[in-house]
Amino acid sequence: MTAPDRRALLVAVAALALGAAPAGAQTWRTLDVSRQLHDSGALQVKVQYGAGRLDLHAAATRVLYDMRLRYDAERTEPLHAFTQNPRVLRLGVRKQNVKVPSDRNPAEMRLDLADAVPMELSLELGAVEADLDLTRLRLHRLDVRTNASEATLRFDSPNPEPMTSMRLDVGAASLKALRLANANAEEISVDAGVGNVDLDFGGEWRRDMSVDVEVSLGVAHLRVPSDVGVRVEVRKALGSFEHDGLEKRDGAYYSENWDTARHRLRIRAEATLGKVEVEHR
Amino acid sequence: MRGFLPPVLLAAASLLAAPLPAPTALRAQAAPAPATATPAPSAPAARPVQRAAPGARVSDEKQEKLRERVAAVRRDPNATPLPPNEQITVGARTVPAGSRVEGTVATAQGRLDVFGQVGGDAVAIDGDVVIHPGALVEGNAFSVGGEVRAEGGMVLGELRTLQGAVGALPAATTEAPRMSTSRALKLAAAWLAVLIVIGIGVLVAAGEYLDGVIHTLERSFSRAFAIGIAGQLAALPVLVLGVVALAITVLGILLIPFAVVAFALALAGLITLGFLGVASVTGRWIRPVPRGAIISERGAALRALVFGICAYLALWVVAAAFTWHPLAGGLLRAIAFAITWVATTAGLGAAILSRAGSRREAPPLAPAAPPDEDLSWMTPTPVTGVVAARRPTPVSLREPR
Repeated sequence: MTAPDRRALLVAVAALALGAAPAGAQTWRTLDVSRQLHDSGALQVKVQYGAGRLDLHAAATRVLYDMRLRYDAERTEPLHAFTQNPRVLRLGVRKQNVKVPSDRNPAEMRLDLADAVPMELSLELGAVEADLDLTRLRLHRLDVRTNASEATLRFDSPNPEPMTSMRLDVGAASLKALRLANANAEEISVDAGVGNVDLDFGGEWRRDMSVDVEVSLGVAHLRVPSDVGVRVEVRKALGSFEHDGLEKRDGAYYSENWDTARHRLRIRAEATLGKVEVEHR
Repeated sequence: MRGFLPPVLLAAASLLAAPLPAPTALRAQAAPAPATATPAPSAPAARPVQRAAPGARVSDEKQEKLRERVAAVRRDPNATPLPPNEQITVGARTVPAGSRVEGTVATAQGRLDVFGQVGGDAVAIDGDVVIHPGALVEGNAFSVGGEVRAEGGMVLGELRTLQGAVGALPAATTEAPRMSTSRALKLAAAWLAVLIVIGIGVLVAAGEYLDGVIHTLERSFSRAFAIGIAGQLAALPVLVLGVVALAITVLGILLIPFAVVAFALALAGLITLGFLGVASVTGRWIRPVPRGAIISERGAALRALVFGICAYLALWVVAAAFTWHPLAGGLLRAIAFAITWVATTAGLGAAILSRAGSRREAPPLAPAAPPDEDLSWMTPTPVTGVVAARRPTPVSLREPR
């Protein structure tokens, strides 16, 4: 076979392969669903979203929820179900094939939730670029699970409800949580997995907090305001712990103002091949 | 004039709130009051639901498009249930203040204004739904191609707007989505192309190893098949054992991800090499080189490989062609899978036996030939090193003087 023949064969095979590849036909649709706010009974909200961009905010109008979903109908099935008894709201996408979302035509979900309803919020995200603005929401429980997402979670103002439980489970991606003191949570549990977690404990401190952090191959960076007392217990298995200005005594690390600080943060960290960093400034 | 008439008729039809005609009807009819409009007890004066002027003509094409549109909305899983076509009006529609409509109010190609009460859903296809102050919709407010605006009224259900394509969602069923025939055919063709490209690459870059696998297959196919089954069964335990062995050592833990990836790559390589070997053997069998044909050794190998790959992939192409028929397609896919599995298993076994083609089994030694009877009296005599004994002669036997 001569060189031109070989080239022709290669071109033909490539053309065949390209032509034979499954066409990326997509049927994009937009669904806007909302429900008016008729009462303020406590609500359990479960959001699941596989791939795309997610923006979550408190609603500006009197709606229980307002979800605007842009989705590929061939791959996804919108989920919007509300039951009165028990009061459970399920939103998002029920089924989503694993596929790298296209930058040119991304799937999007914008979700507004009522700020007048106490709620347990559960978010299960796949490969999502998420902006979770939980400001003004009345959350008494928060559960965020991400697989390969890049998510930012923030509380720009104090949560009116005391939060009994807050769990952040990061798979293999990054999560940035800003002004966590505004979450008004007594206990926070963070499983960083093999991802990177950035926890900012800024905001208005109303109570002492404790946080459990587990890191496996990932990095957890905790930023604590200087006026908050910090105590860190670390267990390392080939992991590392970095801090600035903490003193070690009785098997734990303490900030200088631990005994005098008005509010305190207790950190229990477990690093397996990962790194925990505590910045106290 | 002819070109002017249809738009006029279409416009007239869209302005009038007439029920969606039956398939055979050619003119819009007066709405038969699909949902009863009764004045609310407290309403001093209630107007009935707006109806169309009778006799308005709607072209066949318009009717057909409208019916198709409504049918598409009806099939969409995100749509609310629609009433029968006879109860869907065409054009703008109003539910007056003080009146109540039991059931669903639906209109197409027009806006739906709700001032009164609707006992079911309020639906507009290609139009807006506007819930005015004082209005009540006890079901959902749903618009396709327009928007739902709550301007002071109350909706007990959901406010839902659907934009873009409308209809059944191929992947939205809860059952596993069935691949279309054309897509299955494309997929099979893509696999064929990919395997041929890989085969050519292996033939060019690692032809000797492929020959080693082929040699092993030709010598002992059944043994290769048995080893292939054993290899498949042992793959996972071997991987687990390897991971455990690495985990025992502290430094080995770090190597576990690399070891897993390397194992997977090695296994995939063995399977591919084995399958290509089986394909070559199959290709030689189904399409041997004609006698007297002048073809190089490499050319013959390529020919056998391509024919073999095509033979196996042809099974999948045939199965893909019957994707439209669940039973036949499933049966053909099962057959194709079984045959491909046998080929892949034997190929894997041959690849393992030949150590990825680097080792060939030596042919068994030929039985030793029986010694020639004429020379049986001879004993081997070293050429050097030992001085041969002299045969006694009469001279040497004499006594020394």
